[in-house]
Amino acid sequence: MIEFDRVSRRFGQQDALRNLNLQVDKGEMALLTGHSGAGKSTLLRLLLLLDRPTGGQILVDGQSTQQIQGNAVGHYRRRFGVVFQEHRLLFDRNVHDNIALPLEIAGFSPQEASRRVRAALDKVGLLAKERADPTALSGGEQQRVAIARAVVARPEFLIADEPTGNLDPALSAEIMTLFEAFNQVGVTVLLATHDVSLIRRSDHRLMTLSAGQLMQAEVA
Amino acid sequence: MTQPQKRDQARWGAWAAWRAQHRTAASNSWQKLVAQPAVTGITWLVIAISLALPSALLLTLDNLRAVAGGVDRPPQLSVLLTGDTALPVARQLQRTLESWPEIDDVVLLDRELALSQFLRQTDLAAVMGSLASNPLPHTLIAMPVDASSEAVMTELGQRVQALSGIDRVIVDTRWVARLETALQAGWRWVLGLGTVMLMGAVLVLGNTLRLAIDARKDEILVVHLIGGSPAFARRPFLYLGLWYGLGGGMVATLLLMMMTWWMTGPVNTLFVLYESPQTMRVPGAFYPMTLTVLGGSLGLLSARLAAGRYFRQLMSGTAS
Repeated sequence: MIEFDRVSRRFGQQDALRNLNLQVDKGEMALLTGHSGAGKSTLLRLLLLLDRPTGGQILVDGQSTQQIQGNAVGHYRRRFGVVFQEHRLLFDRNVHDNIALPLEIAGFSPQEASRRVRAALDKVGLLAKERADPTALSGGEQQRVAIARAVVARPEFLIADEPTGNLDPALSAEIMTLFEAFNQVGVTVLLATHDVSLIRRSDHRLMTLSAGQLMQAEVA
Repeated sequence: MTQPQKRDQARWGAWAAWRAQHRTAASNSWQKLVAQPAVTGITWLVIAISLALPSALLLTLDNLRAVAGGVDRPPQLSVLLTGDTALPVARQLQRTLESWPEIDDVVLLDRELALSQFLRQTDLAAVMGSLASNPLPHTLIAMPVDASSEAVMTELGQRVQALSGIDRVIVDTRWVARLETALQAGWRWVLGLGTVMLMGAVLVLGNTLRLAIDARKDEILVVHLIGGSPAFARRPFLYLGLWYGLGGGMVATLLLMMMTWWMTGPVNTLFVLYESPQTMRVPGAFYPMTLTVLGGSLGLLSARLAAGRYFRQLMSGTAS
């Protein structure tokens, strides 16, 4: 469970988040929306400890993240699978090695890592592209590789920041179906997006951020 | 079986994982090196030159020291007495000099003993036999207490010269002292030059590595974001530095060997011309080992410096 308890993040005179209260239950899939600058990215950065709140606290499974420092930050981040808008694949290695990176960090044997990479590729429908160069893939395929990398180490939480940002509606729907599939096997999913079509067709809880505060929490 | 248990089972020992991570980092870095042969070659050569030049100078000093070692005596005064000085008078002079506070010890070389020794060491018995009398004078060898400065030695020589019955005073080992001092200066010169050149190598290598880190900052960032420790992110660059350094050390060894091989002929001829039993000292096992270890250490040090700066910036949050 992810819990934001009166979290604030102030940059100079500007409040990116103001006394934000938010909760994502274990096994839930929730959408986070709001126009640019509403604080979506700040929220995700705080959750991943890429930044620290200026007020309040963030709890994951009831434990405050405040005390997590140094090497523990890396261990903490490994509980999350993250999909970035700009997918952030590494172009100096093939699809397999991109996806294997989290497993290498976690200390899996190469054999076990390869097995898991293929399983993840199979789930995103790109098993045939295992040895391909990421540059040779389409935008949608690159995003699916990024998703495979996010889920390969079987994280508890899957976080995505505008995962369909550059994709057409058909591809967006495909990506969304993927996230739902992972949610169905028990992964908690938090998806930040301002893709209206995605929000409309989704029946998950929608949280709208505006000026650093939560506007409404509803089931669409 | 629960999820965490499966996870633990899939994970092998921490030690094995650590080794696998190192193996991967080492081989990936090596592949990156091989993929850029021009950059790699130039970097190796730069390090090699910075290492080989001081080494060559050191080797030269080593050879000179070997030559100087053959005449390694403390500076002394050879006091040649006049030809008509009798042995008792010589003994008297010996005692006089021994009583001087500036003189530590005086040895008397008896002219008869000196002659027989001379005949034993040379084949000039026939020539000497034709002479009516022993042409060698009695000689006193005086060891001064303080032989550090030339001025003191010269002044002492002049005072001994002023005594009666003395033909000539030779401060004959002054050149050895000069050579010793020159070698000492040379040693410092090599040390100074070597330090500066090694610093240069570290800077060049640091810059090369900084560029390599800069070219792969996406990778560092992704590793950072998905939970890799700074040590994990740094590892490929430490190996890159190590490969650059070790390679540089080996090329330096090669350069030194080539230079030595090229010099051996003339230098050995020179030894023969100076009637020295010496032959040129060659690098042996010490130089290659030291150069390789030194190169590797320099590489690691440079990588550590270059990466340290970058990672401090990353951790302080300038990169996102």
